[in-house]
Amino acid sequence: MNEQNSIPVTKTERSAKFVKTGFQIGGNYIKHYSKKLFNPQLGRDELNEDNATDIYKSLSELKGSALKIAQMLSMDKNILPKSYIEKFTQSQYNAPPLSGPLIVRTFTRNFGKTPEAIYDKFNLVSSNAASIGQVHEAELNGQKLAVKIQYPGVGDSISSDLKLVKPFAFRLLGMSEKELNIYIKEVEERLLEETDYELEVRRSIEITEACKDLKNVVFPTYYPALSGKRIITMDWINGMHLKEFLQTNPSQELRNKIGQALWDFYNFQQHELRAVHADPHPGNFMITPDEKLGVIDFGCIKEMPDDFYVPFFSLISSDVIKDKKRTIEAFRKLEMIHQHDDEAQIEFYYQSYLEMIRLFAKPYTSKTFDFSQPEFFTQLYAYGEKIAKMPEFKQARGVKHFIYVNRTNFGLYTILQELKAVVKTDTFNPHLT
Amino acid sequence: MATSQQIKTGYIDYVLTHDEKPKSVYSFVKKIKISKAEFYKFYGSFESIEKLIWAELTAEAIDTIQQQEVWAQYSSRDRMLSFFYSYMELLKGHRSFIVYSLKKHTDRFSTPEVLAGAKPIFENFATGLINEGLESGELADRKFFAKRYKDALWVQFAFLVNFWINDDSAEFERTDEAIEKGINVTFDLFQRSPIDNLVEYGRFLSRNVNFSDISSSKH
Repeated sequence: MNEQNSIPVTKTERSAKFVKTGFQIGGNYIKHYSKKLFNPQLGRDELNEDNATDIYKSLSELKGSALKIAQMLSMDKNILPKSYIEKFTQSQYNAPPLSGPLIVRTFTRNFGKTPEAIYDKFNLVSSNAASIGQVHEAELNGQKLAVKIQYPGVGDSISSDLKLVKPFAFRLLGMSEKELNIYIKEVEERLLEETDYELEVRRSIEITEACKDLKNVVFPTYYPALSGKRIITMDWINGMHLKEFLQTNPSQELRNKIGQALWDFYNFQQHELRAVHADPHPGNFMITPDEKLGVIDFGCIKEMPDDFYVPFFSLISSDVIKDKKRTIEAFRKLEMIHQHDDEAQIEFYYQSYLEMIRLFAKPYTSKTFDFSQPEFFTQLYAYGEKIAKMPEFKQARGVKHFIYVNRTNFGLYTILQELKAVVKTDTFNPHLT
Repeated sequence: MATSQQIKTGYIDYVLTHDEKPKSVYSFVKKIKISKAEFYKFYGSFESIEKLIWAELTAEAIDTIQQQEVWAQYSSRDRMLSFFYSYMELLKGHRSFIVYSLKKHTDRFSTPEVLAGAKPIFENFATGLINEGLESGELADRKFFAKRYKDALWVQFAFLVNFWINDDSAEFERTDEAIEKGINVTFDLFQRSPIDNLVEYGRFLSRNVNFSDISSSKH
């Protein structure tokens, strides 16, 4: 029986899980420092690895929104050390499934019919888990379908999960609760949106329609009539996940093709739609047998308002960055520099964020960019490590939109790096007027 | 001529309107315009109407799930889960009455009298599932304990119905979680577990210790 036997449900139980993790992490530090007494050369990698394993274990048992947060943290490679990431990325693939009768229950509640009465074929054993639901294979009129079913009570538990995650986030990011609140709220909003499957179907249809002319990108067809509050029916996309795809040793040409499709997909959304699929974790993409990129999950969409989009992308794709005054002005608009900062602070944050923006904008500065070159990512990590150590960055800066926009773009860069793709970066450019 | 169904409907209507049972059979039959004899032909008391409603709902839930196509594919565990999901769905249609019927019962540790009719039906159903599970090896056959499995499931029954009554989440989703979790835990306990191995190991050791005592006494 490999179905999960119990999910900690009540807040007390969930808290217990987190408390346990807290203890274990404490234990890992003790283990680390006692080993270090005898072996001063011992690096922190092992410690980080131990901590990451424990956090992952506890989060994956909690499922739902906590798992989603694990995924979010794992995308922020610039903040977390490397070994955290390896463990966290595990959460992007598998979590254990729920029982058959509950699935039937969900169907009868949504449609008044059992799955057998709706589809020609329906597999009660799920084929994989999405973080807040699971996916089943079905068939109707000869079309293979993917049916996504949401776990009951997910929406309910999100807020309480986030409250539990907060102390972790403080420790990982070293921020105070008050400062972190606007960000936690942003995350909460997005997560709650993700539980709204009706909204997801509407947006999926909108975005896939808008993106239909993009080269080498394919989307499943969505079936609103077979979807509801807790269920989404869409076409099954055949193909390989990124990891499997890479194991087949694809040619450079093919890597570039997939990488380009991914780049175009994201930049078309950012600059033409101003709303972006903000969940670029590898589990949401498939590489189809006819060598196209399949995009399968529109649960998390980040809309970019003008007051964020314009100052942010003016820094990236115009001369603004060469002009210190205008750059500082943009930083102010983005709340990276605060109103009451003194001269020294302004200078300090100006320099630090300038470095970040330069790094971030690097792929945009030439017509093509080779994501396989390790220097770019080494610089990114080094920058992340550097600011993580700076006391000046223990306080929250930057508007809330950065969370998802950063996650999206760093997620995109990371996948392109794994693909070792060379992409044309001038296919879709920012519109700043 | 009054039917059992009419009396039942009349009774439910009465208690939901007045939030208490009728003062007497006399006043009740007058209200729904039937004779006392007709009432007693079907029911001995108001309590027996409530008991019957519970019994009927329980039997109906069992009947419904057994007719589902997937029933044959289900394990004993799945069948029990399936029962509770269907049951709660059925109860939903009668929620006001169910809440009325159970809230009179304040002692949390005993089975409410109104469930007396539903209990044998549920236990019969549970025993069938358990026996199938024991036969297929899904559940562990333990001396003495295997006979009490159905009692553990009855405890879940009472707990879940009570949980549902107090559930204020949208579409009673929290009850779904309680079912999924509670029934799974209960069936986990029914399965072969490390405890069984521990007991057997203990038995083995006790035999072994006796043996070594005997052999050492010979020296």
